[in-house]
Amino acid sequence: MSEDRCLGFVPIPSAPPSEALARIEQLLESTLDAMAHGQELVIPYRVRPQSRTSLVSSPSATRGIDGLRFPGRTTLEAERFEALFCIITMSHEALLSGNLITKRNIFYQNPDLFKSQSVVDDMVDNLAYTLGIGREDLNIVAAAKGLVCGPFDLVLRGGSIKPCDTPGDSGLLVPPLASLQGINFRDTRWLLVIEKEATFRTLAASRYAVHSQAGPGILLTAKGFPDLATRRFLSVLATIKPDLSMFALVDFDPYGVAILRTYTYGSQRLDHEENSTVPQLRWLGILSDDLLQNQSSHQGGSQGQSSHPSGQEPQFCPGDVLRSERPAKKVKINHSQNPCDSILPLTQQDRKRAVGLLRDITSNSERTDDDVRQLGGLQQMLMLNVKAEIQAVDHYGDMAAWLDRKLTEHIKA
Amino acid sequence: MSKQYLTAHTVDEAHPAEIFSLALTPTSLLSASGSSALRVHSTTDATFPLQQTIPNAHKLGCHHVVTARGGLGNVAASVGFGGEIKVWALHKPEAASGQQPEWQLRWEIPPSKAQAQNGNANGGVIPGDVWAVALSADENYLACTTSDGRIHVWDIAARERIQTYETGARGGGSFAMAVDLSRDGRLTASGHENGAVYVFNNDAGRMVYSLSGLAKPVRTVAFSPGCKRLAAAGNAGVIAIYDMEHGEHVGNLVAPAARAAWITSLDWNDSGEYLLTGSLDGKVKVWDVARGVCVATHSETDSAVWSVRWLPKSDRALAPGVPRSEMFCAAGASRSITFYREATGS
Repeated sequence: MSEDRCLGFVPIPSAPPSEALARIEQLLESTLDAMAHGQELVIPYRVRPQSRTSLVSSPSATRGIDGLRFPGRTTLEAERFEALFCIITMSHEALLSGNLITKRNIFYQNPDLFKSQSVVDDMVDNLAYTLGIGREDLNIVAAAKGLVCGPFDLVLRGGSIKPCDTPGDSGLLVPPLASLQGINFRDTRWLLVIEKEATFRTLAASRYAVHSQAGPGILLTAKGFPDLATRRFLSVLATIKPDLSMFALVDFDPYGVAILRTYTYGSQRLDHEENSTVPQLRWLGILSDDLLQNQSSHQGGSQGQSSHPSGQEPQFCPGDVLRSERPAKKVKINHSQNPCDSILPLTQQDRKRAVGLLRDITSNSERTDDDVRQLGGLQQMLMLNVKAEIQAVDHYGDMAAWLDRKLTEHIKA
Repeated sequence: MSKQYLTAHTVDEAHPAEIFSLALTPTSLLSASGSSALRVHSTTDATFPLQQTIPNAHKLGCHHVVTARGGLGNVAASVGFGGEIKVWALHKPEAASGQQPEWQLRWEIPPSKAQAQNGNANGGVIPGDVWAVALSADENYLACTTSDGRIHVWDIAARERIQTYETGARGGGSFAMAVDLSRDGRLTASGHENGAVYVFNNDAGRMVYSLSGLAKPVRTVAFSPGCKRLAAAGNAGVIAIYDMEHGEHVGNLVAPAARAAWITSLDWNDSGEYLLTGSLDGKVKVWDVARGVCVATHSETDSAVWSVRWLPKSDRALAPGVPRSEMFCAAGASRSITFYREATGS
């Protein structure tokens, strides 16, 4: 193991001991005291400031309160008190034992009491917010959503090593940070965040992270909007290995930009969570240029990849043989590489969403280069009135050529 | 026979972001871009100097700016990405003061009002945002389209909406991407995402023609100066010409290239003989309408051209030694504005 560590191993600094346990015990103590004295039980509980979009979903009854009481004025309050107390005791147990529990797990402890998963999610986040700590400090984690793969190893606490490039394996679940001792990056130079799981799986299956022309790298997906665990993981990677170039591959639509911004700036809903942003993440694609270039010329020829006009005899392309490491690179007939086949018009909702994002970006008088780029991208989207999925630039499922070109361009620059 | 146009001047980096729209008065050029400011350049000087910058005109950027074709050039209108319409008036100081004329905000229609529906029969449907805009030749009326397929006509002096044309069931119309008003004020035309082109009679207040021919999104429509013809173009890459007397499709102008790029902008010259188009592949073309052929192609840039406009005919020469000739200008993703003039004499 020590040999593995000498090359490319970077430890993850363990989090400073959190005050979570002390605060939770304080809570429990005061509750017990109150019980012993026959007083009303009160647990401090504040609701996170809601983002604009979720205003509708927040019941007005829970806004502006500072605690849950038992016995409350209504049955509902009593139930909520019980639910919160249940979460606190479970967190307490987890903190004492050093184990992690998932929010899903909490829900299944007592589905009748919690009624739905979202009640648990909401309460856990509000509890963390009230105590002024992160959700993970409570030893409560969301079931991991993100997947990673590539020629690197996860080194777990306790010393076991999980390589992420086992052949036939299409990605490992992003581990909770608390369980990680470090990462052995080996020779990886870049990291690509992919919006779509399908694209991730295709690239993982073809071992793109190993064979890329841009050198070895790491692939990651959070299957759409990223969860906190994945964002934390990325944020730690960016901190412990600052020279890792990080890119995002998202759809050319307002949601793609929103996802990108969630990675870089965090989400409004979980604004109180720290160390969960990755400002160094670059927008790799797809951009309107990728679509427009397709319109005027065939894109496949750029890196010597085979690209054959329809109806012509496929030519022998030596580049393919030399790079035969990449499996399943078959000769393909390119008869419809134009945007009309892969793009869709924006819906009214897409347009509203794009304008909302423009408003978010321009509300800040200080703009980063990334903001300016996103502003331009959204304006182009609205002008062209089109959106396109990542697949718009692939070559019948093979994105490798496009990615090779894009990654090499960006890493050089 | 092809015609020859020369690059007369280029204003580099005219805006800090992509230029989306150009509009001309007899003496100046207004331009709008992804940044918040509008800019005004003089067209009476061979160096096309910057005359005025209107800061913070549209916070989210501006996609359309228009003046009245054939009008006096005292009114302009612009639409921002936020959905607000602004009407600008040219303020002319007394001749003796020696000050330059200056554009000032005359009226702003906020998004909520601009997209407003008739009465209160909202039915829970979110109204579409305002997109394209046009001014009547007398500078009294403004027509704007919405993303749910409506065309609203406003009386600028009275500051009220006087007409709404529906092109689909309530809220179900196809995105109206383009609009124009005929110079005689009689007709309104709209071009839609689904390829439809509609013509409305403003006196009767109803649709007169529903024109087919372009199955793909229509990004630009324009009446000829004599109001006899309507030209429409967009993603199909061809220009469809319609006769306005009987509402017939009279022909297409087609480039010989195998795959024509999307046309973003088109404009008739003052005599109605030539059409100017700009497209996403960066090409600017001049078409002879009567012969149905492209007579000049310019490709200064590979990046998108968003707007092309003829300069109104002028009796004055730009500079000593420069012959009077017809001019046009183009701008887009390159952020610069290029002016062209016809090569005359031998």
